[in-house]
Amino acid sequence: MSVARGRVRPNRRTRRSRADNPMRGIVTGRADRITIYALLIVLAVLFAFPLYSAIVKSLEVNGIQNYISLFTDPVGDIPIWQTYLNSLAVGVVHATVVLTVSVTAGYAFSKLHFRGRELGFSAVLLFLAVPGIAILVPVYRITQELGLFNSYVGVGLPEAAITIPFGVLLMRNYGRNISDSLIEAANLDGAGHFRIFWNIFVPLSRPAIVNLTVLCFIWSLQDFLWPSFLFTNPSLTTAAQAVSTFSNALGRGAGDLARFNASLVVLAVPAVLFVVFGLRFIVNGLTTGSTKD
Amino acid sequence: MTIREQPRQVLKRRASKRSDWKVALVFLLPLLVMYAIYYLYSIGFLASTSTTKVSVTFFNSIDVGWRNYAQLLTDPVFIRSMVNNILFACISIVAALTVAFFIATALATGVRAKRFFYLIFLLPALMPLSLVATIFGSMLTERTGILNQTLRAIGLGALAQPWLTQPGLAFAVVAVIFCYLIGLPIMYYTADLSALPTESLEAALLDGAGTFRIMRSIIYPMMRGTHITIILSLLLGSFRSLEVVLFSTRGGPGQSTEIVGSYIYGFATSGGPTIGFVSAVSIIVLVIALVLSIAQMVVTRPRKDMR
Repeated sequence: MSVARGRVRPNRRTRRSRADNPMRGIVTGRADRITIYALLIVLAVLFAFPLYSAIVKSLEVNGIQNYISLFTDPVGDIPIWQTYLNSLAVGVVHATVVLTVSVTAGYAFSKLHFRGRELGFSAVLLFLAVPGIAILVPVYRITQELGLFNSYVGVGLPEAAITIPFGVLLMRNYGRNISDSLIEAANLDGAGHFRIFWNIFVPLSRPAIVNLTVLCFIWSLQDFLWPSFLFTNPSLTTAAQAVSTFSNALGRGAGDLARFNASLVVLAVPAVLFVVFGLRFIVNGLTTGSTKD
Repeated sequence: MTIREQPRQVLKRRASKRSDWKVALVFLLPLLVMYAIYYLYSIGFLASTSTTKVSVTFFNSIDVGWRNYAQLLTDPVFIRSMVNNILFACISIVAALTVAFFIATALATGVRAKRFFYLIFLLPALMPLSLVATIFGSMLTERTGILNQTLRAIGLGALAQPWLTQPGLAFAVVAVIFCYLIGLPIMYYTADLSALPTESLEAALLDGAGTFRIMRSIIYPMMRGTHITIILSLLLGSFRSLEVVLFSTRGGPGQSTEIVGSYIYGFATSGGPTIGFVSAVSIIVLVIALVLSIAQMVVTRPRKDMR
């Protein structure tokens, strides 16, 4: 439609495309548009197939009853909603620690002037790529020393340690876009750094803080590594671990398989909610944090 | 404040800028504490443990010198898992630079139901990896999996395969799961596309170039920085994706689909005196991660000057 309109009034198209979406203009022909739709639909079908197959499987025997029974008669002694709550509780610790560390460090690296600032920042980024599995042994030891097995803090802390380099990068990148003149003005008015931090930097970084918080909760929801080593109490099972708990608790009969697939579908629900309600925060957070400039 | 006082005020402020380091130390304190515990202490602990033979209780450790490293570097399974790791990463990079690029560009051209498409393409990357891999595993089970059932139902039973238990197929399955998780590259491309300079697009349009030609010859080369970010992030991500293997093929058959993460996981959960050995592997993974981080810093630096 918009293509046709563009053909009739080329001037208007150029203006419109500049204003709202320059990419809109690149689809010039009807054939191209159809090809794009066709390819997208084929890919979408491929991408949706696994989840679709889980839904089909889950309804094969006993139908919707499989979903109801997940809540009325918990599989493997752990109610499925409890696994969400456990992930959420870990997420609270994870987000709290990451925000405390990243926002303060982000302020220091973007707004304070001290010798070795860039070097220090590079040193922080050095650990951006460390996979959790590489510090598994020492984290196990640290958790042992601190007596933090089977506690949300025990899992939230190493998750935060892995996220912090990213969080600092995100907050520092965002902080650099906050105008220095505001801070200088506050400085001239006699406000100290702590007041500037709390009354100017934190409120102005709110978008970045929200993005980072959403990401922390997503990553806690996804994390399998730390809970699997640091939680031994079955009642603390998180959503990412629940997959194996349910798989172990259920047999290989058709009824059990249907129930198992129902549990997989239900476990995918939080991710769907995140995408539906929080996609903007996720995309903004991940992409502002991805580059160093 | 009078005009005459102003220069002095500025001078004072400059002076105070230079002495910010005390304040900076306070603001950096939480970061320093976390880094000291989880990175500095960790690396020291790994280095010292990697030369011992010890179980997870950390009692009665026996000093074995460099033997863990020697054993590691001559272990064909370790070599294999390292090679697999890089192969899977490369396959997902190819998928990202082609499919993810296409999806992001196509969705940026103002197609209908954009949000719905985003939901479908990004969802896999935001679900727990353990869940995604399990769904694939259950879908591809030889007897009860839906893929073989479907093939049999439509009379293509001959194509039904033992997807997870035949080495070549199992490898392909893990590779497919890695390609399924290209949500992050799609996000990177989408963000970069929204900042695309319009002029070159308009010039190409005036030249009468078709959609796919513009995508390939104009937009694709302009995304160089994003391509590099994606390549490095997928390379690093592959070391974090042990669940992909653990929950689909369990590294099998015969450890042929093992990656570094699942290799470490296997030894760490074995319960024997393997912790020294695990530490040695960890040190090697850490070195790789740090080298890749430095590469990322070096590569992304010129980009800053370009813009």
